[in-house]
Amino acid sequence: MSIFSACRRLSRPSIRLGVTAMIAAFATAARAQDESAFHELETKYIFGDFTIGSSTGIEGERAFEPETEADFRKRAGRYGVGTTELELEYTPNQYVQIELGPTVSYYNINNVPGLANQNFGGPNGVEGTFRFLLLEPGPGRFAATLAIEPEFHTLDETSGQRVSNFGLENRLEADTELIKNRLYYAFNLFYEPETTSVPLAGSFNETTVGVSSALAFQIVPKVVVGADVWYFRHYDGIAFNSFTGDALYVGPTFFWQIAPKVLVSASWQANVAGREAGIPGLDLDDFSRQRAKLLLEFEF
Amino acid sequence: MRTNFAFGTSCAAALALAAAICGLATAVHAQQATVSITVKGHHFQPAQAHAPANKPLAIRVKNLDSTAMEFESVSLRVEKVVAAGSEGVVNVRALAPGRYEFFDDFHQETRGILVVE
Repeated sequence: MSIFSACRRLSRPSIRLGVTAMIAAFATAARAQDESAFHELETKYIFGDFTIGSSTGIEGERAFEPETEADFRKRAGRYGVGTTELELEYTPNQYVQIELGPTVSYYNINNVPGLANQNFGGPNGVEGTFRFLLLEPGPGRFAATLAIEPEFHTLDETSGQRVSNFGLENRLEADTELIKNRLYYAFNLFYEPETTSVPLAGSFNETTVGVSSALAFQIVPKVVVGADVWYFRHYDGIAFNSFTGDALYVGPTFFWQIAPKVLVSASWQANVAGREAGIPGLDLDDFSRQRAKLLLEFEF
Repeated sequence: MRTNFAFGTSCAAALALAAAICGLATAVHAQQATVSITVKGHHFQPAQAHAPANKPLAIRVKNLDSTAMEFESVSLRVEKVVAAGSEGVVNVRALAPGRYEFFDDFHQETRGILVVE
């Protein structure tokens, strides 16, 4: 399924009506409440953490951020895989943000076709993120940040098999305020080439590209809810050599600034459309049926 | 001899670079506008400050209260803790015209606006 056919599916009148009604409801609710109670938010995590906002933080700010991403369900059997990044985040100036930390993965795989049964957890390499503000935020325009995330993993993210995996995740993170301090829109562009060496099996390359679109509404002060859509395409090889499958994920998002220096951001998404090259049905080799993300941030 | 010449050239280049950086820093400093804000009784005075657009800013925050405050702004992307009875300076990049909220992160009801025009 191409992104165009995915969009055609979403352009059915009932869905169009639903999205229009949602935006209208958000706008009406926004106007009905006391605006003075709503203040500026950093947009980085208000879209739930699959789609990232453009904010690069406050100069000098340091934070600890445990961030867990989990994938659930494949074609058959029991499948639950999670990875937690234990990130330290630092903002050295008003344009750049750095994140660095080790990752820990856990696998619960049982009777999934093509995967060995696994039930264990352990350290799984290290990840870093370098974010650069490209376009300043401002009224009526998009702000944009380029994020470059080098990764090294010792366990395969899907199977738990011992590997040497290097990835370079690149994201363009853009957002804008549709209603001041209340309604926000963001999109991300995603490109990640990876190379993986498997003992006794050699090495292989792969590439994932994606695009997202998210709405977020500050429903009460410091609490934001929304919806997020992601479309991914997966290829064998670094140069998009061979298309293997695609997936369309949709789901709700939640953000809560619990205290001045503590926040939580969460997302859940279901794989609703897509195909695996040459096989009917969803691509459940490259993607899972559901995925979720939970991030906590403690500023210090 | 050649080594000495190369070393001398490198030193001269380094000095020229340092002088250029100092000159640039002085020029930037000379262009910097200053905004003074006082905190008293957990209120900013003035609650609406004004600053010129497209010039780097130094925001001087004087805390006249008996407790510490943290000057913070999401849109200015700065924060600074200012102890009781003392003063802090926050350096901000050149800003586009607009309204920028700021607040005391230790007393979040204490809020103000910087109008850049």
